[in-house]
Amino acid sequence: MNRLPFWPTAAITFCALVAFALLATLNGAADLGLRQGLDALFLGAGDNAGILWDIRLPRVAIGILVGIHLAISGHLLQSATRNPLTDPNVLGIAGGAMLAVMIFLLITVYWGQTDGSKLTSYPLAPLPFVALFGGLVAASLTYLIAWRAGVTPLRLVLAGIAIGITFQALGLGIFAAWGSTRMETVLLWLSGSLYARGWEHALHLLPWTIAGLLVLPVMVAKLDLLSIGDDAAATLGVNVGAIRFSAIALATVLASSAVAIVGPLGFVGLITPHAARRLVGSALAKSLPISALLGALLVTLGDLIGRIAMPPAEIPVGAVTALIGVPVFLMLLGRRT
Amino acid sequence: MTGLTCQDISLGYGAHQVLRDVSLSVPPGRITALIGANGCGKSTLLRAMAGLLHPMSGEVALDGRKLSAWPRKQLARRLSFLPQEMVDPPEITVAELIAYGRHPHHGLLGRACPGDAEAVARAIAATDMTSLAGRMVATLSGGERRRAWIAMALAVEAQILLLDEPTTFLDIGHQFEVLELLQHINRSHGITVVLSLHDLNQAVRFADHLVAVDRGTIIDQGAPADVMTERLLTDTFRVSASITRATDSPPVFIATGSIKDPSRHASV
Repeated sequence: MNRLPFWPTAAITFCALVAFALLATLNGAADLGLRQGLDALFLGAGDNAGILWDIRLPRVAIGILVGIHLAISGHLLQSATRNPLTDPNVLGIAGGAMLAVMIFLLITVYWGQTDGSKLTSYPLAPLPFVALFGGLVAASLTYLIAWRAGVTPLRLVLAGIAIGITFQALGLGIFAAWGSTRMETVLLWLSGSLYARGWEHALHLLPWTIAGLLVLPVMVAKLDLLSIGDDAAATLGVNVGAIRFSAIALATVLASSAVAIVGPLGFVGLITPHAARRLVGSALAKSLPISALLGALLVTLGDLIGRIAMPPAEIPVGAVTALIGVPVFLMLLGRRT
Repeated sequence: MTGLTCQDISLGYGAHQVLRDVSLSVPPGRITALIGANGCGKSTLLRAMAGLLHPMSGEVALDGRKLSAWPRKQLARRLSFLPQEMVDPPEITVAELIAYGRHPHHGLLGRACPGDAEAVARAIAATDMTSLAGRMVATLSGGERRRAWIAMALAVEAQILLLDEPTTFLDIGHQFEVLELLQHINRSHGITVVLSLHDLNQAVRFADHLVAVDRGTIIDQGAPADVMTERLLTDTFRVSASITRATDSPPVFIATGSIKDPSRHASV
């Protein structure tokens, strides 16, 4: 496999992201046409400026942020566990975040509203924290169960799968006991959708993105060394336990906050790291930024396809990323052997 | 006290004790070989000497200072260890793997520092990896992989090199290639080498100091010709063997059969 140089690859991926983001902003249920759309977008002209600025742009922005979160989270987990089949779902993080949000919604939406016939909205601000709490509980449980005087990658993955499935089952159990009208509120969140997400969602996500990106540079070199084995990394002066723990913690924060805003979104965290490593090699200083860009691209593209495939109905982005993700993943697996 | 020393150390995992009251002083600038049957604790001893396993009692020290008291990176610059099991990182080149050896010299952000390129070039030249530097590690043969990993350990430019069975899974030609490489590194750079070996004739031939481990302790250590006795072969390795001694070459032994131990069978 010939490698591509980093900067041109990053530039092309970035341009593709900008192009698709623009396309996603201009295309949708209300067809504006290119000229009208561009006018509305850049000049604020026409009645449609509101649709673009208040509905479509925040939606695209959230997609980009969520893509970055999930891709980096998956990439960190794959490095920390030295297992290319790991992602936030496999380690139980997404399941934990999901269960916490379900319980939270049950309390605030179900018990808070006595009028069963009204479609209710849910409180937004606490969601990232609630999801983070759930994600951290799940990750800690996974870590505790896997712990035998240290954590091996294999035990971590096995424990994570068990925890994830348990939490997911509990979450679905709560959902099954739900009242009918209020179900839609949750169902929308549960399917991994960008529908009806506004600027306030983006603003609740952005601080987590920035915090995560600021911590990464300190971890990259040490995480790279984990790839040659715990003992070899330790003899090169890496505190293996500490770096594995902090990588999983950061991955949990990024994945949980993303799940809080759009619901569980599969495959982004799983496949983008593979693609990035294939493109520019596995050194994290190069592959991690590419991974983040590809994640953003995948979610943006997935949402765009979901919206224009059969208007006015929408396919949730989670379903589209899974549809794109599975064949790509199988292809990557095939090329490996 | 200079160099690497073990003082009355007991080692084990959890409650299971593997080695008991072991003392060892590694001769600086020499090649020391650990020999012993499978599961006797050679790897455990090497891991403790590398600072990866804390002794249950006693202490491993470098220049008189306990290993656990050394800052990680400072210790890593002095002591390089190659585990028996090499985990091949995916999608990386030989040169990148070798460059990992420079990590102990880097700061918090892991940025490259001035001596890196020269150190990596020296490690590549010493291990004769020049033509393979651009290859993916995953595409190397067994012998080439081992050499790439040794190059990585050399790029650290540590004074002491510890290797856990560097010849396993290699054919006889590549075994000698690796051992001659280590001997060359030792003779030309004065690097202290400690390694565990299975082939006793190779251990005798390449080591300056031989350490025999059996029944959870060091049963003998010293010059290879002195340690290598019929008694060692029958008691420790449980083989009947003939040893040929000549004045101008190291002793050579030929195993003729295993010795059945009635007590071991009785316990099964």
